[in-house]
Amino acid sequence: MKAESHVTSTRSYLWVFALLTVLTIAEVGVVKVTSMGRALLISALVLLALAKAGLVLMSFMHLNHETRSLKLTVILPFVLPALYAFVLIAEASWRLLP
Amino acid sequence: MSAAPAPPHAALGHGHHEGPVSWPTDAFMGKASALKLGMWIFLLSDAFSFAGLLLTYGILRAASSVWHQPGEPAFGINFTAGLTFLLICSSLTMVMAVAACRAGKRGKTMAFLALTILGGALFLCGQFHEYFGIGTHGLIAEGLHLGGSHRATTFFVITSFHGFHVFSGVVIMSVMFVKTARGRYDHGNVDAIEATGLFWHFVDLVWILVFTFVYLIPEPGVLP
Repeated sequence: MKAESHVTSTRSYLWVFALLTVLTIAEVGVVKVTSMGRALLISALVLLALAKAGLVLMSFMHLNHETRSLKLTVILPFVLPALYAFVLIAEASWRLLP
Repeated sequence: MSAAPAPPHAALGHGHHEGPVSWPTDAFMGKASALKLGMWIFLLSDAFSFAGLLLTYGILRAASSVWHQPGEPAFGINFTAGLTFLLICSSLTMVMAVAACRAGKRGKTMAFLALTILGGALFLCGQFHEYFGIGTHGLIAEGLHLGGSHRATTFFVITSFHGFHVFSGVVIMSVMFVKTARGRYDHGNVDAIEATGLFWHFVDLVWILVFTFVYLIPEPGVLP
């Protein structure tokens, strides 16, 4: 039973490792290859980075095994900084518009 | 002089117990140990330091009409993608070290810790090469100077602050390697190794974000 769960966790780590590698290749790929607009490109890059960060957080840092309270303790404090980032960066680029 | 009686909890002193410590289940935090919760609190505060730096970077960059000043070098995306892959590899070996320690396998724990330390050390060599150049010109020789522009200053402050974390991680993991070799974390006594792992994965996680924001997002109208 214990040995079995050990094997499945090793397998899931290897899957996450493979996914992180593929997502990194995808990131470099969208920058070098695509001709998408800048706003779309930045959105794609941010989503890819957040997906990778989420994988590390949930799998490698075992946050998926923790209680709901601990998950919220870690994740909720970043809602406000994300909001600040969105508002302040949008405001800063707005001022550059002709 | 008679020795004072040892306090009843002395047998539970840090690291001097056999096997995993069974913490009472908390209604909110479950089985998470005090050490693990302390590490999460530290990581949250550390994450806010990085969040402040990245937020400043984002505002400065969004507000400047010319970000990449003439005469400044471009960043090497392929090289830093390699560094990213290196940190992802070292995160995998770290999580394998934690699993080996939980399974009570000292030799395997030490082998995976050594690989993780190697990954961190190679990352530091890579960053040294990026700044100063090993056998070639680094970014500084190519004209990127701290204080030269917003782009240069935010680059050096953010990447060196992260590099300092990689260095700290390598030091911490080396200490844990020696302690593991001395049998401190045998019989599934995984708590301290797991907390070390949390720190190392955090360093990897921050680099994922730095790689995207500092290296990958291109100049308007200039695709590399």
